[in-house]
Amino acid sequence: MFELDPGEDLTLIVDVVQRFSTDILSQQYRDFEANEAIPEAVLNSYSALGLSAMELPESLGGAGLGSRAKCTILEELGYGDPGATLALDGIGPALYALAELGGDSAVERIILPRLSDPSARIALIWDDGDARKKDSLCRADNRYSGTVPWLPCADADLLVILDKQGASLIESGFTFSPLRGSGLRAAGAAELVLDQAAIIERWDEPAGAARALAKWQLYIAALLVGVSRVAAETSREYAMERVAFGKPIAHHQALAFLITDMHTAVDSSRLLVQDAACRADAGQPFVEAAATAFVEASENALFVTPNALQIFGGQGFMQDLPLEKYMREARTLSLLAGGIDRAKEIAGQALCRIEGTVELSALALSR
Amino acid sequence: MDFAIDSATQQRIEKLQELGREHMRPLGIEADKLGRPTPPDHPYFEKLVAMGYGRTRYKGRKGQDDTPVKSADKNKAKKRARSRASLLLSEEMSYWDRGVAVSAPGPGLGEGAIMSMGTEDQKERYLSPFIKLDKPRWGAFAMTEPAAGSDVAGIQTRAIKDGDNWVLIGNKSFSGNSSRSDFILVWATVDPSLGRGGHRAFLVERGMPGLQDFHIEKKMGLKAYESTSFRLEECRVPGENLLGGEAYYESRAGFKGAMATFNATRPLIAAMAVGIGRSALDESLAFARENQMLDDSRVRDRLERVTRKLRVARLLCLKAAWLADNQRPNIVEASMSKAVAPTAAFEATSFGMELLGMVGGRGDHLIEKLFRDVKAMDIVEGTGQIQRVVMARQLVGLPHG
Ligand SMILES: Cc1cc2nc3c(=O)[nH]c(=O)nc-3n(C[C@H](O)[C@H](O)[C@H](O)COP(=O)(O)OP(=O)(O)OC[C@H]3O[C@@H](n4cnc5c(N)ncnc54)[C@H](O)[C@@H]3O)c2cc1C
Repeated sequence: MFELDPGEDLTLIVDVVQRFSTDILSQQYRDFEANEAIPEAVLNSYSALGLSAMELPESLGGAGLGSRAKCTILEELGYGDPGATLALDGIGPALYALAELGGDSAVERIILPRLSDPSARIALIWDDGDARKKDSLCRADNRYSGTVPWLPCADADLLVILDKQGASLIESGFTFSPLRGSGLRAAGAAELVLDQAAIIERWDEPAGAARALAKWQLYIAALLVGVSRVAAETSREYAMERVAFGKPIAHHQALAFLITDMHTAVDSSRLLVQDAACRADAGQPFVEAAATAFVEASENALFVTPNALQIFGGQGFMQDLPLEKYMREARTLSLLAGGIDRAKEIAGQALCRIEGTVELSALALSR
Repeated sequence: MDFAIDSATQQRIEKLQELGREHMRPLGIEADKLGRPTPPDHPYFEKLVAMGYGRTRYKGRKGQDDTPVKSADKNKAKKRARSRASLLLSEEMSYWDRGVAVSAPGPGLGEGAIMSMGTEDQKERYLSPFIKLDKPRWGAFAMTEPAAGSDVAGIQTRAIKDGDNWVLIGNKSFSGNSSRSDFILVWATVDPSLGRGGHRAFLVERGMPGLQDFHIEKKMGLKAYESTSFRLEECRVPGENLLGGEAYYESRAGFKGAMATFNATRPLIAAMAVGIGRSALDESLAFARENQMLDDSRVRDRLERVTRKLRVARLLCLKAAWLADNQRPNIVEASMSKAVAPTAAFEATSFGMELLGMVGGRGDHLIEKLFRDVKAMDIVEGTGQIQRVVMARQLVGLPHG
């Protein structure tokens, strides 16, 4: 069991991030969406929070706060606006591919010089290696070609393409064309075309690739917890104010129980995310735990956000309120990091690897 | 139960398919991109009128009916399958685009109440222009208010008698097509403490002073038709515009008329949800086939589930309509269909998004639009929760209120 108490240091940081999230992100989300971008002032106040190096080890000049802290903060940011979070954290989960596969040297060369530049963007792309798909990527002769149908960013100066075997670094030979996007519009949206793009560095190590994907899944799962929480809280508060048939709608048992289930769903997702993150921080295996957290956080977000809209009735369908946005964010976030099916595949593998003869279930549950 | 489709309905469905493919689907996508309803002067509406759509069930003053006597038997048979036929037509329209379907000219949701409660003069005045439309015309229905939706008894819009006139004061929300309508059937109360008993319905005509501040809402989806909020600022309405006339309300509770409309339309709305779901399923199947995903059992299992749930939803709709066609009570079945279909359709669109993977994030795939369209189906014409309340009253005697 991991330590549930986040500790003093993390609590202090979380307070600051919470304020940023509710004072700035939650207030301006429609502008971000309309402009498909974050204004410079917001980028600057985010970088003033000093979060960009929080996960890096102290030996590299970071704060060494680790995965658990990152997930806690991502939940807070996701509560405010997950699309904006992706734009603000321009290096984002690409860090994991570089750190897990390229090691300290890659982090020093590629990440550190970009840390002080709030507009630096590294796009992380998942190549599932499924050549049957029309839009599949093709890696041959140290070059990448193909189309990524959508990325939640307007452009990037560097691409990291992660696959089951390893990762490739690409600096040129690609173009971004803008799209409208479905959710996460604050981050921008684009289609990426790679035309014989040269791979300038390639790392092959399947175990490292699996860890990188796992941390990416945790990153997205933490944002999903944030969106689920804001949707659940907003609708719970509304349900206690809105009156129909002589009492607050929250006091009709059908909604009361729905609200309790939504609340439970948020807590469930968060526990799985924190559990996997703490394993990563403790140097324990966390790949399957992270995939499990991603599946649960996705499913729960897709239960919580449409129901939050439902609790608002007709108003929920209108864009004056953010309920419809929560639903779009939940749906699109869960497409990232390889999507739900990839995560299920990984989470299910845990069952094949359990050894022993008694209480297999206990082993399965603690994986 | 006979769910067979007669040849006339089959022909109408085929006509709709053509219209849907050529006009409805593209118009729906266009409105979604532009983020505004199809404007009332769009040639599509002229075309619909020319094709005979948008007509009322009202046949004109008694005695003017010129239907030849010899086809009476045929008419009777047609009447007997009327609910099923309109159900299938609703599903088909919604398959092509639910927003565009609702944008179509016609007397609107108030038609049922006018037919059942209206005086002969009112029917003649408000419905006869829809017997054969000279141009695109709309009628609207306004019950919902900022503070009262499901609990219609709680509406606050006041109706105050002033000599021969009525003065209406209040706000109405999300009324479909209302800013382009010739008339809006507005529900108000003479005394909020009377609940349903205090309700009165008024035929408020476009241009009546005080009918103002139309605000077309920005919606998550279904953008092709307008959902409009407006204000009644001491809106003066002649006494003759009180639906049914004074006498009607003296003899019974004012509320019944509105509920009767809902009863008949619930399976229709459910069928529309099935249409949206079917559209998502079609796109999902095409995408899965194109990308050779059908041999993945994870994908196939979920497509099977989506198909099964939509099949169930459609059968529930048909059963409710079949009961109505046979003049048998369908209150539980109507609610059942409306409780089930929107969820089945939601799942179809949400799974469709998952199947698309990163393509779903682009915001330009039909499934993505359907995902945004579908949620309203669990809200309009009685939310999913309200359907369960209605059923529970019947099944376990759940007390009112
Ligand atoms: C696209 C669209 C088009 C519309 N078109 C029209 C129109 O043309 N004319 C018109 O008059 N209205 C229209 N409406 C309004 C619609 O009818 C209402 O939104 C609907 O009746 C719900 O009412 P409400 O929004 O006030 O939600 P509320 O009634 O406030 O409900 C809020 C939540 O509480 C739940 N709830 C309420 N009572 C209970 C209970 N007893 N037990 C359990 N749960 C309960 C509801 O299910 C819902 O989840 C439209 C709405 C939309 C979204």
